Amino acid sequence: MIARVDQTPVLVVGLGNPDRGDDAIGAMVAKALAGRLPANVALIARGGDMMALIEDWAGYDALVCVDAAAPLGVPGRIHRIDLTKDELPAEMSFASSHALGLADAVRLARVLQRAPQDIIVYAVEGRCFEHGAPMTAEVSAAAEEVAHRIIAEVGRLQQTTAPGYLN
Amino acid sequence: MATKTIRVDYLARVEGEGALDLHISGGRVTAARLRIFEPPRFFEALLRGRGYAETPDIVARICGICPIAYQMSAVHAIEKAFGAKVYGQLRALRRLIYCGEWIESHALHVLMLHAPDFLGYSDAIQMARDHGEAVRNGLALKKTGNELMRVLGGREVHPVNVKAGGFYRVPTRAELAPVAESLKRAHEIAVALVRWVATFPFPDLERDYEFVALRHPDEYPFNEGRLVSNRDIDIDISAYETEFEERHVAHSTALHSSVKRRGAYLVGPLARYALNFDRLPPSVQALAREAGLGPVCRNPFRSIIVRAIEIVYACEEALRLIADYAPPEIASVPIEPRASPGFGCTEAPRGICWHRYEFDDEGTIVTARIVPPTSQNQPSIEADLAAVAAPIVDEPGDVIRDRCEQSIRNYDPCISCSAHFLKLSVHRA
Repeated sequence: MIARVDQTPVLVVGLGNPDRGDDAIGAMVAKALAGRLPANVALIARGGDMMALIEDWAGYDALVCVDAAAPLGVPGRIHRIDLTKDELPAEMSFASSHALGLADAVRLARVLQRAPQDIIVYAVEGRCFEHGAPMTAEVSAAAEEVAHRIIAEVGRLQQTTAPGYLN
Repeated sequence: MATKTIRVDYLARVEGEGALDLHISGGRVTAARLRIFEPPRFFEALLRGRGYAETPDIVARICGICPIAYQMSAVHAIEKAFGAKVYGQLRALRRLIYCGEWIESHALHVLMLHAPDFLGYSDAIQMARDHGEAVRNGLALKKTGNELMRVLGGREVHPVNVKAGGFYRVPTRAELAPVAESLKRAHEIAVALVRWVATFPFPDLERDYEFVALRHPDEYPFNEGRLVSNRDIDIDISAYETEFEERHVAHSTALHSSVKRRGAYLVGPLARYALNFDRLPPSVQALAREAGLGPVCRNPFRSIIVRAIEIVYACEEALRLIADYAPPEIASVPIEPRASPGFGCTEAPRGICWHRYEFDDEGTIVTARIVPPTSQNQPSIEADLAAVAAPIVDEPGDVIRDRCEQSIRNYDPCISCSAHFLKLSVHRA
């Protein structure tokens, strides 16, 4: 018999600077998700400080991040990367303005044994990251699709991640 | 004549875009230039025509790591111009938020950016494999600093709660209580940090700096004091331009500062410490002595110990301020604009941050001038590089390169907040 103890703690983070063109996609998706996730799922938006993010992760078994990726040819294309299986591709260049990028933050958290068991990254290819620039239309148009996928992702994580269940 | 060039494409752990050229000829360092090619951002120009009330939020954007320094220098300049005085608990809250900035900025630099140099690691992630507890503690310290910034400033980065005359909203005692608990733990961590960094191997280098910092009659300085040096400077902050000048040099988009009568000077932790050791509480002085520091430290590599000492001080001061806190009746004192110049100078984590504004009678900015710490330290950084490289000119290029990079990181230079890029070229003739 499987008894449900409580649902797996999941954190959803929209990453990026909302005032730098397509880097705003993380914040835009976070805004689109507000009020649409289960009550026990935390949702935050974060700027450049990835070290603070490591502290944000504490206590969560699963993490879903949305970030903009460097231009790879198709603005708005959505990539899903499961960090339990794959590394963040170097060519996506998840740059942060201060010291650590997302890939570095994940590596550091793992070394410190502070990384959530499951980490899913939704990376949306951007085109323009200029200060004060508007978002590219194709990138902003992807926000709702990413939000939909994350809602499903959160449901899947809460069903499958082990710590919330006892046999 | 053979020329050898060694290039490092990325020096991660430095804020901003720059390059270093080191020229070695006849076994001597003939030139050491820190080339900063970060594009200028024209903040002084874009402030013209803006109202005084907008200023704290605009200047906060100059730096993501030390926004409080820019906000504090700006609000003090505005208040000086308009004849307003912030006192009592509002003044104490300003010291408190500055403690938060010092803790988060120094913790980031000491543990994540600088410590790996001394222990032979390429970055904090590599260091964490062997020194996980130290890195976890560094993150905890930074979190505590951020917590203070969030409670008082509304958010950690580019806080929005600071205004001319005080704050938009002041915290309750209950809101500060959990921060005090974090600070107690942070204080323990910081004391251990001082003892740990004091064991690092330090290159044997002493430099005869002209230290420049604020000095207050009875406080280790954050927001107020006279501008003093260990030579003969002792002036009101409004007289800064009589003693100091900025000039453009071809190899840097950041202006170089100097003492008009002498040349290079040093701002930041080493200067603050040397000029204000007697203003530290006895407990912190004793800890500094235990860590092998006298009342003056001239070895730039030991600045990592002084930064750790300043974290301890900031924790103690923050705990004292919270213990004494009672919410003031008003969140800000009234401000009445008038046509006047105003000057502000406060101690950013990296050293004095000096502002001058000229306001019209409605409080609109006519002119603005902002002198950040790193631009003031550029000539000292270059002189350090020459001094550091001189005894090792015959060593392999990567040895010179590593020591020079470490030397630059002694300053925690904040060239900008947008990128990290530093190319190093060693030219041997």
